[in-house]
Parts: sequence; structure tokens; C-alpha cells
Amino acid sequence: MSSLPLKAAGKHLPPSWRIQDTTAAPYAFQDDPYLIPTSSVESRSFLLAKKSGEKAAKFIINLHPKYFQKDIAEPHIPCLMPEYFEPQIEDISEAALKERITLKKVKASVDMFDQLLQAGTPVSLETTNRLLDLLCYYGDQEASTDYHFQQSEKSKELEEATEETDEKSKKKAGHQFGVTWRAKNNAERIFALMPEKNAHSYCTMIRGMVKHRAPVQALNLYTELLNNRLRADIHTFNALIEATAMTNEKLEEKWNNILELLKQIVAQKMKPNLQTFNTILKCLRRFYAFGKLPALQTLREMKAIGIEPSLATYHYIIQLFYHYDAPSKGSSLVIYDIMNELTGKKFSPQDPDDDMFFQSAMRVCSSLRDLELAYQVHGLLNTGDNRKFIGPDHRRNFYYSKFFSLLCLMEQIDVTLKWYKDLIPSVFLPHSQTLIDLLQALDVANRLEMIPQIWKDSKEYGHTFRSDLKEEILKLMARDQHPAELQVAFADCAADIKSTYESQDARQTAPDWPANALNCIAVLFLRAGRIQEAWKMLGLFRKHNKIPRNELLNEFMDSAKASNSPAQAIEIVKLASAFSLPVCQGLTQRLVADFAISQEQKEALGNLTALTSDSSSDSDSDISEGK
Amino acid sequence: MAAPVCRRGLGPRVLSWSRQLPCTWSALHTSAVRAKNRAARVRVGKGDKPVTYEEAHAPHHIAHRKGWLSLHTGNLDGEDHAAERMVEDVFLRKFMLGTFPGCLADQLVLKRRANQVDICALVLRLLPAHKFYFLVGYSETLLSHFYKCRVRLHLQTVPSKVVYKYI
Repeated sequence: MSSLPLKAAGKHLPPSWRIQDTTAAPYAFQDDPYLIPTSSVESRSFLLAKKSGEKAAKFIINLHPKYFQKDIAEPHIPCLMPEYFEPQIEDISEAALKERITLKKVKASVDMFDQLLQAGTPVSLETTNRLLDLLCYYGDQEASTDYHFQQSEKSKELEEATEETDEKSKKKAGHQFGVTWRAKNNAERIFALMPEKNAHSYCTMIRGMVKHRAPVQALNLYTELLNNRLRADIHTFNALIEATAMTNEKLEEKWNNILELLKQIVAQKMKPNLQTFNTILKCLRRFYAFGKLPALQTLREMKAIGIEPSLATYHYIIQLFYHYDAPSKGSSLVIYDIMNELTGKKFSPQDPDDDMFFQSAMRVCSSLRDLELAYQVHGLLNTGDNRKFIGPDHRRNFYYSKFFSLLCLMEQIDVTLKWYKDLIPSVFLPHSQTLIDLLQALDVANRLEMIPQIWKDSKEYGHTFRSDLKEEILKLMARDQHPAELQVAFADCAADIKSTYESQDARQTAPDWPANALNCIAVLFLRAGRIQEAWKMLGLFRKHNKIPRNELLNEFMDSAKASNSPAQAIEIVKLASAFSLPVCQGLTQRLVADFAISQEQKEALGNLTALTSDSSSDSDSDISEGK
Repeated sequence: MAAPVCRRGLGPRVLSWSRQLPCTWSALHTSAVRAKNRAARVRVGKGDKPVTYEEAHAPHHIAHRKGWLSLHTGNLDGEDHAAERMVEDVFLRKFMLGTFPGCLADQLVLKRRANQVDICALVLRLLPAHKFYFLVGYSETLLSHFYKCRVRLHLQTVPSKVVYKYI
């Protein structure tokens, strides 16, 4: 695959038909400079704040539904009516149990079931199955823990139970991650109490056990199912495949067990669905190198049966072949085959993991440093409705950061700048690392005149106090000599950066200017002819205990010569000797040679150089230059 | 009102015994009361009272120098429910005044377009931005559920009340 950086200009420009307005922030935000987010952290916090406001409003509405009953909408809008979360039927009957199950109240429905059994009323198989569904789905915890403040006065135990679950779920990311299947919990108890069980009961129990990480019990229950000569449905088989992969056996054993299950599916004349294959691939991810051949076999089998793979399928394959712990260990060409197949296809959501595809594809492109492939992936993203699969904020930011970094690395600078205008800030807000990549691209392409503009943009994106970004900017500006107007622009930019350091100083107790920054700012002032400010910078070196570089002192000497003032030159030499720099001697010689100084000054200089030449021999070893 | 001045025969008629002296005693006034119009006007003071453009102009300047604060089609020929719109307006203004405590810099502008209500508010930068977003989400949802139609909030922030002149 050729990845030449030179390509015909205009071939891969950002599309001009893009639906989004590139000059505006996303429309979810209010259109006001104070209310537009400047970094990805802020944008996330604003959207979360808005959502929490909506939830607070819904809480109030559901707390006082009688004020929101007046229905003036024609036709009726059900989503704008208050919802009822409390069960209405109070007596002990099967209808009450059904209502509690519909309202997803786990504890209340279990209590109602127990009361019904104690009263002696038989509960129908269907309702018991629905109760089992509820219990297995939520793993015997309360359903919606985020509405836990919506409780009636009498359920104090409920409050304690939800506090426990809150603590458990606070530890993990999602509110179901921390839920494990306890032995002898309500689901198992009710299952044991059932007088007759049908296939549905067994299947839902198995799926619940697998969801909440109890694979051994699930497999045991499956054997019991087979002993009762019942048949499992395809979803249960998917769960069993996952259970097999979760057990603690060797990889070949696990794979053989999975193949056994697949044979049983065929024997029962059922057709596997997309979820079956996706589950197999998801489990194969953990098999590392062993899983590569079976994964390809699975993919071929899928196509042979005629099931269209979804984006999640390809995501699992990419993860398997391009594991990010071992980036280029025998990097395969699978990604190119995948992209060739996927180009131009439109997808619809079929698997919860579909939105991980673009992130992993772009990660691979970035590690392979292949720009053509990245354009292919981006083209796929823009086909049809595939934009929906970009995923939540952090995934989108990751995708675009990697894409833009790759562009900075590999693409011509004009095209990169066009993408820069297109993507930032309407699609994603850049990290400081992205901006540093852009600066290095500008450096390579010799377009350093854009640097003041980039600095202005960085301030807008909240990177005013990022020292690595500022040091990079200063370093690039100060490295070479430039024509006069550019030098002036650079000096203005340096003054601006200096003021940000100063305001940072005012806030902190221990001022900390990096020596690099001091050096670069001083050089830039000198070159632009702002001599006074440059001399002030020299004073700052002393104050912050940082050492000026040799080249800097030489430049100061040059400027002193240009302005023909021996006093300044003597100042420089004094400063150099105060820092005990070895270059002091060279400077003194220059001073004597180029300037006309009086006799006392020469003697004073003589003393200074004597001091420094004595101490320079032992300070040579421990001088720490620069930082 | 003590001295009777005859203006086109419609001046205040005061019963007085003498025609030569100006009346300085309290007498019975029998003419109609003509109170000054006080609607939506800020009375002129010493020159230290800051007023916004909206407050500075009296209602007779609407459609000449001012626009409307509430835009709906209820007052057009053949359209009805103007009164309901007015009641909704009152509720919306009170609601916003309470929800954004001390933050509103000027009167709300309410626009009704198709089936949605756009509330355009000028707010001061008293709260941090995420608190504004919380209040926006809250008001939009609550008002949408109350009026069974989409309610959108458009905020524009200003650093302080925009003074037009000092009167």
C-alpha cells in the first residue's frame, strides 16, 4: 500500500456538502460565547448539567402529576404526560403482581409473589416466568437505581437496599457491572418453588446466570434442561457460548466446547443468528494468538450461512488481530481486506458494540501510519447514516484526535489546514497534544507564520496554561531568524505568552517559569528590536533561578555591539560571571576586542574573570545548563 | 389644581364668589378626573436612573421604535384564543423570573412558531455556565410537560444590564 505524503491537491479535501455548520458549536449548546464549551471536559459537563436539569424536572412532574393532567394537545402526546411509578392495585392478587412486574419493582414483586404463595393462590406459569425474567435481568437488585430518591414513605428497607446497591454500583462504571449472581438468591428460590417449569423458565435462568457471571451454574442448569428433554432457544445458546468462554479451562478445551454447542444448535435444527457469531468472536478476543484462525473460520461460516456481519463483528476481528498491547508484532493485512469489503456499505444498529468499530479502525490506521486507509474509514463514516456509529463523546474525540494527528503527520499542509478549519471546533475540541502535532506539521512544511494564529486558537480552547504547548510554540518561534514583520508578530505572541506566565505566577505561591521559555522569550524580544523588554527578561533569570543559554548571551552581546553601548556589554559579562558560566571568558575577550572601555573597567573585568576562571574549573563539572 | 384656569371652556369649574382674585381657597371641583397615563412608563427622575431601551420607550412607541415582547397570531383577524396566550405569557414570565433568580436583564421575548414556544431571555452572567444549562434543561422539560408543546429556551448573556440612557 503506498502511503506517499504527496498527492494531488484536492483529492481528499474535507467534503463541502457536510450537513454540519463548521463555523458553529454543536446545536445542543446555547449560542452565546459565555455558554459555548471550550474544551471536551466542559462540553461534557454542560451536557450532563442539562440532562440532570431534565431529570430534576421529570422528578417534579412525577411527584405532582395532578398539575400536569390538562391535555390540550391535539393529537394526544403520551410522552408529555406524567408517568406513574407507584403500583395502584393494593390487594394481593395476580393482577397486582403483574402490575409490579410491569413497573419493574423487583423487591415489591418478590414480596407479592411470596404473599400469594402463603395465601395459597396458585400463580400461573406465565406470570412466574415473567417474574423470573425480571429477576434474572436485574440480577435480583432494584431496577432503576437512579430514581432511588423516588420512594414512598413506608419503604425504608427499600432505601437501605438501594443504598447498598448504590455503593456497590458506585465502584464500577455501569450500574450492572458490580452485580454478581449470589447463590440461593430470589430467582433460584422461586425457580425451585415452581411446581412446573417449561423451557422458558430454564432459558431465562441460564441467561440471567451468564449475565451476572455465574457460568458454572448456567452450564449445570443446561444439563438439567437437557435431562428434562426440553429445548433451549437460540438466545440461550448464545449465553451458553459466553458461559463456556468464562470458565477456567484451557483454550483448546473451550474452543472444542463451543464447537460442541454449535453442533447441538444444528442438531436441534435451529439457525444461529448474528448474536451467536458476535458472541463467539467476542470470546475469541481473549484467546489472543490462538483465536486468529478460528475467528476467520467463524467469519467465513457466517457468510456461508448468509448472515450479514455487523460493525461489531469487524470490531472484534480488528481487536483480535491488532491487539494494542503488541502493536506491530507481525502486523497483518486484515484491515485492508475489511475496508475493501466495507466501502460504500450502509449499516443499521444490530449489536450494542457496533459503535466501537470506528474507534478501533482509526486506532489501527494511526498505528500503521496509513493515511489512505484513514480516508477510507472516514469515507465509510460519512456514507449514509453511519455517522450514528461514532459513539459517545469520548469515543468521537478519540477518533478525531487520531485522525487529525495522522493528517498532521502525513498530509500536505494546505489540506491539513483545511481539515483543521473544518473539524475544529465544530466537531471536536483539540487536546494540547493535537495542537503540538499541528505545530510540528507546520514546522516541517515551513509555515511558521501560522503560529500566532494557532496560539490565539489555543487560548480559545482552554490551553492558556499548558506549559508543554507554550514551550513548543516558543521553541519553534525562537529557533531561526525570520524576516522583520514575522519577527514582530512572533514578539507580540511571545509577549502574550509571557503575560500568561505572569498571571499564573500571581496565582501560585511558588513561581515556576521553565528556563526554555525564558530563553526563547528573551531571544524573540531581542530579534524584534524590543531591547528594553529583553533586558527585563535577563533580570527575570536571576529571580527565577534559571540559567541563560550561551547563544542567548552571545545574541545580547551582538545587540549591545549593534547599539554600541559598552555599558550593556559589561552588564552581560557581569551576569555571566554571576552565574559562573564557562562562556564568561569568551564574552570577556569579545568585550575587550570589540568595545572601547576605560582602564578601571578593564581592571574590574580582570577581577571578574579571575574569579570565574578559578571557579569555572570546579563548576565545569556540576554546571547544569538550561533547565 | 388650586387655581382655576379656563381652557376652551372645559377647564375645571370652581364655584367662587369673586372673579378678581385667583382662587386660593379649597372649593368643590366638578370636572372629570384626568389621571396621567402610567402604563409601562418609567417616570423621569433626576438623571441617575438607568433604563434599558425597552423601559425607556412608552407603549405608544410600539411598532415605531419598539417591537413586541410576545408574538403570536391570536390577535389577527379571524384567529382566537388570544386570551389563553396572554395567560400563558403571564405564567411564563413569572416562571422564568423565579427560576433564574436575579439573572434576567430584561423582559422576556416570547415567540410562538408552529407548535413551539421560543423563550428568548437576556441573562446576566451571575451563574457559572453549567448551572445555566441545568436551569435550561429543567425549564424546557417542565414547561413542555405543562403546556404539552415544545418549549425552547434561547439565552443570551450580557455582563450587566444594557443601559440605554439615564433619566
